[in-house]
Amino acid sequence: MFPRVTDAITLRDLLGSSASTPAQDPLEAEVVKLFDHFRAPLLRYLSSFGLGVQDREDVVQDAFLSLFQHLRAGKSRENLGAWLFRVAHNLALKRRYRMRRESDANAGAGGLVIDPAPSAEDGLVRHQTQNRMLAVVKALREQDRRCLDLRAEGFRYREIADLLNISIGAVSLSLARSLARISRATE
Amino acid sequence: MKDLNTHLSDQQMLMDVDGELSPKEEALIRAHLDACWKCRVRRKEIEHAITDFVRFYQKENDGQLPPVEGPRALLKARLAELSATQSARHSTWFALSHKNVWTLAAAVCALLAFGLILARSSGFQRPQTRRRAMITSIPDSTLTPGATVLISRGAVCSGESAKNKAVPVSLQKKVFEEYGIAGAEPRAYEVDYLVTPALGGADDIHNLWPQPYFATVWNAKVKDELEDRLRQMVCDGTLDLTEAQREIATNWIEAYKKYFRTDSPLEH
Repeated sequence: MFPRVTDAITLRDLLGSSASTPAQDPLEAEVVKLFDHFRAPLLRYLSSFGLGVQDREDVVQDAFLSLFQHLRAGKSRENLGAWLFRVAHNLALKRRYRMRRESDANAGAGGLVIDPAPSAEDGLVRHQTQNRMLAVVKALREQDRRCLDLRAEGFRYREIADLLNISIGAVSLSLARSLARISRATE
Repeated sequence: MKDLNTHLSDQQMLMDVDGELSPKEEALIRAHLDACWKCRVRRKEIEHAITDFVRFYQKENDGQLPPVEGPRALLKARLAELSATQSARHSTWFALSHKNVWTLAAAVCALLAFGLILARSSGFQRPQTRRRAMITSIPDSTLTPGATVLISRGAVCSGESAKNKAVPVSLQKKVFEEYGIAGAEPRAYEVDYLVTPALGGADDIHNLWPQPYFATVWNAKVKDELEDRLRQMVCDGTLDLTEAQREIATNWIEAYKKYFRTDSPLEH
């Protein structure tokens, strides 16, 4: 019998899903551990890119595959959290650009197709403050929103500046501007 | 330092709140705040705005996050796949970069030649290890159940895997052996993927079968149309990728009839 290649699974395996888990190498285990830690913050951060749930998951997966390659190549381990956010940020921008291009090419599609999951406005009746906050946040400039989200994820100004490729002064100005708007909306 | 007539900016106060000031700047800000009620109130407002935003941010996102188990399993599988691919590449590179590659090649050739002479002199014939399978437009499901790689819908739809790769001749030969037609005329068959790589089909013998050219009705061209249709539906979001793979692997002709709503291939 010709041996099966290791990078393929038969559909029987896929549908039966009874395959045993092979032993994981230490680097893979480390990446999975980081995935457990950073997946939720990354998904939250990517929500401001107008991508659907599945697209955001794909971006996060690709970011972790890049991380695996990065670590495997023996590259820097300094501040892997910021590294992941930067890679996911760039991947999300690329994906959004591609979606927009496809959307434009698709006659009658009427613009970017975004999140198929319930949008922020859908669903239950929200608290008034939450609604006002939503309006303010949605009206923010894209970069202001990113600064705010990254700060909420615990990044320092320097890290945000590096990640978004702007100055530290621009980060603090952006945050102050956004918080002033929030403050006015919720007072 | 600013006096009480020139108040602190929001930016300065925020940097203070966030601990982004140098000790010297911080001391100056503190001195101003101690003396200025207006700025202290403003600082509180900024802190309230931060609290409001963080609550909003968590509320907006946390409830919507899908469970981690599925994505974690997918990542593990993709990492294992990546490791395996890279290990294979590494070993190939190592083998080729070896100083004695020519010596090794010569030795292998000599061994092969010796084996061939031995086989001929003893009247050896390669045993038929496989029963001769029915060669039809539908592959034998025990030999070709279909095999896929783990791939996301995004990757399928990005066009990276849209083209079928040519099946290497060595693999084609093995497919013929599997089907018990090792001596068949290669030009009479096309070794085709059951699940096309454009839908995540694997470069694996379990996903390949000899499709006869003499199948004039349900032939490779018709199957290509089905593959295009299924990929389109997957990318439109009207068909799940796993379902598309399952349908084409189970019985691609039935899948064609289902998705083109016809009992015979459409004419062009």
